[in-house]
Amino acid sequence: MLRASNAVEAAGIPSSSLTCEGFVNQATTTAAGLGRPNLPVALVPGHVDTQELSVLERNVREVTVPAVIANLTARPGDAKRPEEPGRHEIVASGSFQEINARFLAERWSDGLPIVPPTQAAVEAFLAHTIFDADKVLGVVLPDNREVTAWSIAVNGVMAGCRPEYMPILIALGRCMADPAYGVEHSGNTPGADTLITVNGPIAAELGFNCEQGVLRDGFQANTSVGRFWRLMLRNVAGFLPHETDKATFGNTWRVAIAENETVLKNIDWPPFAGAFGFERGDDVVSVSRYTGGGVVTSVYGQQAEHMVDYLADAIVSQTSWELVFTIGISRETYRPLLLLSPILAETIAASGWTKAQLQQALFDRARIPASRFEEYLGHWTNLVPGRRRLVDFVNLKKADARFAESEDPERMVPIVGQPDHLLIGVAGDPLRTNAYVFAHNGMLGFPVAHRVER
Amino acid sequence: MTDAYEVVWPRSPQSVELQDLAYRPDSLDGRTVAFLWDYMFRGDEIFPVIAEELKARFPTVEIINFDQFGTTHGDGEAELVTALPQLLRELGVDAVVSGMAC
Repeated sequence: MLRASNAVEAAGIPSSSLTCEGFVNQATTTAAGLGRPNLPVALVPGHVDTQELSVLERNVREVTVPAVIANLTARPGDAKRPEEPGRHEIVASGSFQEINARFLAERWSDGLPIVPPTQAAVEAFLAHTIFDADKVLGVVLPDNREVTAWSIAVNGVMAGCRPEYMPILIALGRCMADPAYGVEHSGNTPGADTLITVNGPIAAELGFNCEQGVLRDGFQANTSVGRFWRLMLRNVAGFLPHETDKATFGNTWRVAIAENETVLKNIDWPPFAGAFGFERGDDVVSVSRYTGGGVVTSVYGQQAEHMVDYLADAIVSQTSWELVFTIGISRETYRPLLLLSPILAETIAASGWTKAQLQQALFDRARIPASRFEEYLGHWTNLVPGRRRLVDFVNLKKADARFAESEDPERMVPIVGQPDHLLIGVAGDPLRTNAYVFAHNGMLGFPVAHRVER
Repeated sequence: MTDAYEVVWPRSPQSVELQDLAYRPDSLDGRTVAFLWDYMFRGDEIFPVIAEELKARFPTVEIINFDQFGTTHGDGEAELVTALPQLLRELGVDAVVSGMAC
C-alpha cells in the first residue's frame, strides 16, 4: 500500500495512506526506506477486523477522515535522514563483550552473541568469492539497501559462518534480491520464515547435515547459514521487530537443510532444485517462505499406493488460510513442501513411482470440499472480500475451471493449481518413516533458486 | 584471539535519496480524489464512508473509486504500481487515498 502511495507522490500527486493503529511504526520505517520518511498516513483506530460496522464507521468519520484531509491539503514537515557510516567504515572497537553490547544496542544483532566482523575476518570471506567487495547483487526493501559481496561477508562473519561458505552466501544474496521471491513481504503478520535448501556436491563438501536432525541446530553449516539469512533480513533488508517486521508471533530462523543427494541418485529422482530447472550435480541454493509446518509420523506401507493417502492428508491438514494464494490474493502461487525421509522416498521409488508420479498422486488426493475452501477465503477470514464462491472466481476468470466442475458445495477441489506445485524434498533420518509438511506463504516468499558460483 | 576488535558496519548504503512529497492544494473542492485499495481489511466498507465525508466537506470534489484500478497487493501490485502515474494523469487525479495497512 505504501509502495503505491510512494509511486503516487513520485508522480506529483499527494497521497494519504490508511493505516491501522498497530502498523504506524511499520508505515513510518517503510516510508523512510522508500525515500519519503514523511509520507503521510491516516490512522484507523484499533484493528478493523474486530469492529462492529457502527464502531468502524465512527472511527473512520472521527479519526481517519480529518487525518486524510490534513494529509492531502497541508504539506508535512521536511524529511530528514540520520547520517550513516560509510560502507567499509570501522564503527566500533573494544572487547568481545563491548562489541556485542554495541551491536545489541544498535539492533545489528539478533540477541545471540555475534562474531565480531573485523576487516580481516571480512577479507577472509571475500577471498572465497569471485566478486569484488562492492559488487552490488541487488537492492532489497523495505530499507532499499544494496546487497553487496561486502555486506554478505560481514553478516556471514557475524552469523558464525566459515569463510568457505561464501559462495553459498552470495547465492543466497541473489535469492534475497530476486524480485520473484518478494523479500519486501518478509515482515508480514503471519510471520513466515525462510527455509534454505542446498543441493549439489558443495553441500557435502561444506559439511551440511542432510540426515537425522536436518532441521535441528547443532551443525555449523546448517545453523550459521540459517542465521546469516535472518541477519541479512535485519541489517540489509531492514526488517526489525516492532517496526518493519510485523510477525504477530514469529519464530526463530530456520536452519538451512541439504537434500540427501546419495539417496536421490540411487532412486533416480531429480533434486529439489530440479523444480527450478537445475540438474543433479548443480550447486544450487533454493529459498521459500513457510508459515509453519508439522511432522507426519510413522507413515506405514510397503508400497507407494499405501502411503500416499496419509501424505496427502498431511498436506491438507497443514493448509488453511494459505489457500488465498491459490485463489484470491494471488493465483496459483501456493507451494507447500513435503519433506520425505529417505526410507519413505526409497519405498515410493521402489514401487516404480517417479517424483512426478508422486506429485500427481498427491494432487489427486490432497483435496477439500469447495465449501471449506470458501470458508478460508472469505468467511472465517476476510482476506478475500466479497464472500465469493469458487464458481464466482472461475466465472471472473480468476481461477481455473477445475475449481468449478459443478456447483455442489461438497465437491472436492484441489488445494494447488498444478501437481508440480506440490514441492518434494528428501532429507532427514534415513531409517525413520516420518515426513514433514511445510505450509507456504504464497507470493509473499515465492520459491526461487540460484546457482552457487565458485 | 585478541582482546580488542575493530569492527565494520553490518549494513549497506540505502539506494534511494530523500524525495520530496507532492504539492498539496489548499482545498479538495473541485479536485478529483482517487481511492486505491489492496482489497483487504474492509476497504470496501471504509472507502464509502470516506467518500461520503469528503463530499460533505468539499461539495465539488470528484471521487474515483478503487474498482477503477484493481488491487495494490498480491498478483496485481507490481503491474499497477508501475502503471499508476500514467493512469492517474489520464484520469485527471489530483489526490489519492490508499488503504489498507493492517
